[in-house]
Amino acid sequence: MNTRRGIPLLVKFVAVLVGVYVGVRLVRPPLPSSLVMMYMTLTVCGVLVYVSIYAETWQEFSAPLVELFRGSPERGGLWQGGRQVVLGLIPLLLGFGVYQKVTPSFTPPAEQRVVHPAPPFEVMGLTNPLQQRPDRLQEHLELGARVYFQNCVYCHGDRFDGEGHFAHGFNPPPANFVDAGTIAQLQESYVFWRVSTGGPGLPAESTPWNSAMPKWDTMLNEEERWAVVLYLYHQTGWKPRTWE
Amino acid sequence: MRWACLILLMILLTPSTGWGQEKGASPGGAGAPPAAPSPQDLQAGKRIYQKWCMNCHGAQGDGAGPAADFLRPRPRDFRQGLFKIRTTQSGQLPSDQDLFNVITKGMPGTGMPGWEKVLTEAERWQLVSYLKTFSRRFARASAPPEPIRIGTQLPLSADSAAEGKRLFREIECFKCHGDEGRGDGPSAPELTDDWGAPIRPANLRKPWTFRGGHTPEALYLRLQSGIAGSPMPSFADSLDNEKTWHLVNYVMSLWQDSSGNNPPLQVVLKARRVEGEIPAQPGEAFWQDQEPFYYPLVGQVIREPRLFVPSVDGVQVQAVYNDRELALRLVWDDPTNSKADAEQGTFEDAAAIEFPVQVPPGAKRPFFLMGDAELAVQLLRWGSSSGMTELNGNGLDKLQPQSESSQESTAVGEFQNGQYQVVMKRPLRTVNTAQDIQFETGRFIPVAFFAWDGSNGETGGKMALTSWFYFFIEPALPKVTYVYPALAVVIAGGLQWWVVRRLRQTKMD
Repeated sequence: MNTRRGIPLLVKFVAVLVGVYVGVRLVRPPLPSSLVMMYMTLTVCGVLVYVSIYAETWQEFSAPLVELFRGSPERGGLWQGGRQVVLGLIPLLLGFGVYQKVTPSFTPPAEQRVVHPAPPFEVMGLTNPLQQRPDRLQEHLELGARVYFQNCVYCHGDRFDGEGHFAHGFNPPPANFVDAGTIAQLQESYVFWRVSTGGPGLPAESTPWNSAMPKWDTMLNEEERWAVVLYLYHQTGWKPRTWE
Repeated sequence: MRWACLILLMILLTPSTGWGQEKGASPGGAGAPPAAPSPQDLQAGKRIYQKWCMNCHGAQGDGAGPAADFLRPRPRDFRQGLFKIRTTQSGQLPSDQDLFNVITKGMPGTGMPGWEKVLTEAERWQLVSYLKTFSRRFARASAPPEPIRIGTQLPLSADSAAEGKRLFREIECFKCHGDEGRGDGPSAPELTDDWGAPIRPANLRKPWTFRGGHTPEALYLRLQSGIAGSPMPSFADSLDNEKTWHLVNYVMSLWQDSSGNNPPLQVVLKARRVEGEIPAQPGEAFWQDQEPFYYPLVGQVIREPRLFVPSVDGVQVQAVYNDRELALRLVWDDPTNSKADAEQGTFEDAAAIEFPVQVPPGAKRPFFLMGDAELAVQLLRWGSSSGMTELNGNGLDKLQPQSESSQESTAVGEFQNGQYQVVMKRPLRTVNTAQDIQFETGRFIPVAFFAWDGSNGETGGKMALTSWFYFFIEPALPKVTYVYPALAVVIAGGLQWWVVRRLRQTKMD
């Protein structure tokens, strides 16, 4: 093993550890820290086996460490100073690690929230009355557009993606109608119910106290609410779910 | 050691799968506009316009779609060929690329979103071609507009910023933008755009709301080209390249964060424990050392009367406490120090912090907009004329000030250069436990913020607001936090000393 000189074994040892750590940390999506810990333990064991397999490599590996702790009177002033710093830093770093461990960290309680709660019985299976009048579709869509752009656009946005210019002020964020997880998997009657009763109409498991969705039945008449539902499906290209 | 290098290389290469995600983002349109759009392009552009743009900008491009009255600034009227964000010389039309870029990126601080995610590059070019048909100026133009040449940039330095500050006074930027750049200059309230609609000068300390972005080049171009249709003129005649950069550097020196991005949203507002008296004056140096938390505010569009065009767009909050009391410092920009005036339809300016009266044990809490019939909220409200008031709310229309004897909060507020600074104080615990929240350390308390600009007709339900965030009063750290690390240092130091001694002894042997 001492055929090749050059980079000291200890430096290689550290380089491999750092390399593996950086590599593992760069994986996306990020690995859980327990897994990172496991990989690092494996790496340390592997490299330790490697350096201790022959007496000579072990000697080469450990010599600088032994020298560091023992001290070496013949070395220059810079080395001596460096040694003092390193020896001083080791306990301090450990102390810092312990400090980080024992400092209590406070995280806000996780908020569980049911996104599509079961609707009340009386709104299930309602059909959009405006669907019965295909001859007046254009008129209804215009009404829906007017309702949307005078009432909904601030939060749900011009792109219907829930990124309106007020959206950043609210948590939970406004619904993204383009997403396959909202109106695309709901019935028209359900969407009509959500529009009509808004945040205050949500059951407790859907955190009605956080929702900024207005109760539109106090501000829009029934035709306006059906028209905006019609318009949403038309603009996003989704088809409302039906019971076949 | 070749194998080790190989492994290292492999490891370093693995994450490249994760880095390749930015591929789809083309930088502001690499493609060139079609020299002469075909009728098919114009037809396609018209269809895109009618699907995505018409409801704000109007079917005729007159900026009068159904949403227009509810947006400020109003959507652009395309018929005059006046466009705000240009790279072309004063008085000239925008380049096709300018129009393309605004469509692509949108306009920060307005209702105009970027369309990159929705429209392909080709579609955005078709839209550019169609937009140009709304104004005859494009067809009449005999030559393409001349671009502004950006000269050698002067790096941001204290000297350059100081020279920029001098120019800021000399060419009278302060008249609209205000002495400290918050858009609160003496002429600001009367400004209108070319269509007669009221318009606000930019708050130069909030670069994330700049319509054309906040790169140094963007600022340079706005100074040189002006903002067409708005009172912002071109300064090409009075500012040479060097002076323009000085002014750009001055504006950039005003930013709290040199990146110019909006402050990060922090979900938990933390109150730190301090010993002794907490300064009541908001201008005290003490407050400069306290961690700031920034919350964006938006219009109250949930219950009538609604506010579609709020004036205050964010509030910075700092919180500390001592044995007795909690102190909160609120800082927010408001261009005017408003006075209540029934004839003018103006009201006092105000801000408020909202807490639930009872800190909820579970997830359940009052409705964030002033509580509900079941659960009440408490409001600590400061008004520019009325001062400090504690209120309780069981809904937006059920908001009552507490009785005189229960008003235990105090506040000191001041207005200067387009900014309010208010320090509110309240005892941690009070006698009126039925109506007052009792502040305890170590709990996550829901908190929300409100602001009213009286000159904007804001009062009662017409306000800017946030929904619930968390407020957390940091408990004093337990003693073990200091004991254990000290113990660890002593033990590790002792062990190390022992190792060193052992090694020296073996050397002697």
